[in-house]
Amino acid sequence: MASVQISEAEKVYIMHGVRDDLRVDGRGCEDYRHMEIETDVVSNTDGSAKVRMGHTDVLVGIKAELRRPRPNVPDEGYLEFFVDCSANATPEFEGRGGEELGVELSNTLYKVFNSHRSLDLRSLCVCPGEHCWVLYVDVLLLQCDGNLFDAMSIAIKAALFNTRIPKVRVLEDEEGGKEIELSDDPYDCLRLRVDNIPCIVTLCKVGHRHVVDATLQEKACSAASLLVAVTPRGAVTCVRKLGAGSLDPDSIFEMTETGKRVGKALHAPLMELLQKDESLGKKRQKVGFLA
Amino acid sequence: MPVDTKRVRGPEESQSPVLFLPPSTQSPAGRSGQGARGNADIRPVFTRCGLVSQAKGSSYLEAGNTKIICSVYGPREIERKDETDMKSGRLVCDFRLAPFSCRKRGAWIQGSEERDLSLALLESMQPGVCLHRYPRSQIEVNVMVLENDGSILAHAVTCASMALADAGIEMYDLVLGCSLRQDGDACLVDPDVLEEKGSWQSGYEENQGRVTLALLPNLGQVSGLQADGEMREDALPAAVRTCIDGCHKMYPVVQQAILRAVKKKAPPPEK
Amino acid sequence: MAVDMRLPTVRKQISLAGSNSNADGKHLVVPGDVITSDTGFMRGHGTYMDDEKLTASVAGEVERVNKLICVRPLKTRYNGEVGDVIVGRITEVQQKRWKVETNSRLDSVLLLSSVNLPGGELRRRSAEDELTMRDYLQEGDLISAEVQSVFSDGALSLHTRSLKYGKLGQGVLVQVSPSLVKRQKTHFHNLPCGASIILGNNGFLWLYPTPGQQDEEEGGYYTSLELVPLSDREVISRLRNCLLALAAHKVLLYDTSVLYCYESSLLYQIKDILKPETMDEIVMVTRQRLLDQEG
Repeated sequence: MASVQISEAEKVYIMHGVRDDLRVDGRGCEDYRHMEIETDVVSNTDGSAKVRMGHTDVLVGIKAELRRPRPNVPDEGYLEFFVDCSANATPEFEGRGGEELGVELSNTLYKVFNSHRSLDLRSLCVCPGEHCWVLYVDVLLLQCDGNLFDAMSIAIKAALFNTRIPKVRVLEDEEGGKEIELSDDPYDCLRLRVDNIPCIVTLCKVGHRHVVDATLQEKACSAASLLVAVTPRGAVTCVRKLGAGSLDPDSIFEMTETGKRVGKALHAPLMELLQKDESLGKKRQKVGFLA
Repeated sequence: MPVDTKRVRGPEESQSPVLFLPPSTQSPAGRSGQGARGNADIRPVFTRCGLVSQAKGSSYLEAGNTKIICSVYGPREIERKDETDMKSGRLVCDFRLAPFSCRKRGAWIQGSEERDLSLALLESMQPGVCLHRYPRSQIEVNVMVLENDGSILAHAVTCASMALADAGIEMYDLVLGCSLRQDGDACLVDPDVLEEKGSWQSGYEENQGRVTLALLPNLGQVSGLQADGEMREDALPAAVRTCIDGCHKMYPVVQQAILRAVKKKAPPPEK
Repeated sequence: MAVDMRLPTVRKQISLAGSNSNADGKHLVVPGDVITSDTGFMRGHGTYMDDEKLTASVAGEVERVNKLICVRPLKTRYNGEVGDVIVGRITEVQQKRWKVETNSRLDSVLLLSSVNLPGGELRRRSAEDELTMRDYLQEGDLISAEVQSVFSDGALSLHTRSLKYGKLGQGVLVQVSPSLVKRQKTHFHNLPCGASIILGNNGFLWLYPTPGQQDEEEGGYYTSLELVPLSDREVISRLRNCLLALAAHKVLLYDTSVLYCYESSLLYQIKDILKPETMDEIVMVTRQRLLDQEG
């Protein structure tokens, strides 16, 4: 991940600050930075969202396509993730530099959203064994300022909420062949239930305490971080240790507890905001990329 | 996905016969039969060091039908690329699954799952190796899975740390791996490949999950943790503790194997 | 635990009633704009001659000093001048010098002969000093220095030959655009609110707790790693957020503006200062006070 160089004295300052629950920008250990979320930014997609957290900028676009379902689960659709770290984010991502990070992020997303209980994949099935909806989730990192996983998961949840899949009907003709008919009305579409989709909380261990939503400087002081994916009901779907250091088992339990608490509290304001966004409809002020 | 143009592959529509097998052969046999191992038992492990003569250090591990071979090359000098290499060395891990290792034939080119496993292996091994003793150098760890019968990441971690010890690389402690599958109320330690996958319907049942843990046993530090699946509140901490116990159980065997390899390499005592 | 999510809004540029006249007087150009066709002028930076016409090559403001016309870009890398105070970070340790990153086109250079040896010794640098360069300054360390000279390719040569320059200890670095830092007589300020600031001309601003009276100036190689008290930390965090708020609204930074901004931010909590509406309010109050002071 893009990193900054900091001196030993700055590290000591940051660690002492975290110990006293006063970080460099005045936040507490469990506070997030100011976030701005906007949905429906790209008109060519079936669903899109843009999240800005501090200077981290993430854009998610979702497109739905009809394909054959996977052979071992014939009555479910599925999701495919792809994360692109462009050189726009930082010069380190130029050429193939960002590819490794992109693959790591995509793989983690597969693990997090793999659970059948988070998204009802059966609703994506059109004709068991033959046709199903595949959602291609493409994530673009526009700017990188730490805490990529959290911003990505919030953006994906908002984009899935915004996704409108056109309703199709399967018609059988005389020879038994199946034909797919798209409904004529552009507003007749299928919406996904995003109630149980998890959000990722990354906790970085700095000194003896851990912080949520770490900036790049705080990340440079921490040896190890824990990634926890939490659903609105407080259940944990994925836990991963990141970084080159080791963790005490007690720290892991503590950090998982904090992650659960913080993650659970993240969902309610997000859903509220998304509902408000939707209800504004045409009156919503479209900001797009100009702010 | 990159396409392999050098090797002959079957036609695009070809499917593995595994898909057509009746589901009964695909679900795991329970562990409660006579003579079968209990839920909390790890499979007996056979391991040897020093098999690959060309490599600086190597090891081979068998657990049930899972067969893993690991070789270590280095430390070698790297061209200076960035400043962090001035103070500490670099560990490069490569995790590969042989195409014949799983039930369904895999591709030779590294897929995204293998890259994910390589990264997980790297994260688990890094805290254990004294990289500050090898500034500006690179240590390469190559793991090859010959047969996949479950828990490959956990056993690969153990195999890699034995190979590093065999190569004489300085480490704070051995890194041992253990994995666990939570299937409803049953907590299966060191699952084989059928237990790991479960049947596809089990995805809708309660409390399903997989936990893989890498531990430094003498220091009591966890160097790698991956947990998937929605488990109950208390299930995750209990699973982590069970994995830690599993690692401790495996420690004497690993210690014995390394000491035996060292004794073989040591010169005979002078008369 | 606080989470603040909101829908984005278009931010309006705030402007004060009295300051509109300022904008009319500036002559702003984009690359390719003809500044003048009069041949009596000398060509300065940021311009080129095209068919007897003086044309701008950067986007910025036209500056005219008697017969010299140059275009000063408003957002640019730092162009050093002799005598500037800068704050930089060591990127490389080379044979007899350190390479310092100062937000300019090329990395600046700090020669071994331009630093003070610890203890204040004045002696010829030996071969042993070369080998122990890393003990003085490592990669990642922050230093405050002065520009000694400018090489022909534009790289700066720095020196820390005064006791007030040297390695920086605990504190917070804030990066802003170099054009926002006002040129003043002194760039080291001990603010009355309880912290000190170094306003580097290159846009790197360093906030640190005011050193106690008993600390001798040892040439800056001893960094204290003691715990900084919580009250000092709060002041420093608040100042950091104020600096970022001022930089976002393109207000010129000098000790008075920073102090006014700090005082008007005392109404809010530290972490709320970076919210857009709070930032607007604080900066407006600060601008008003600065205008009143000038007028």
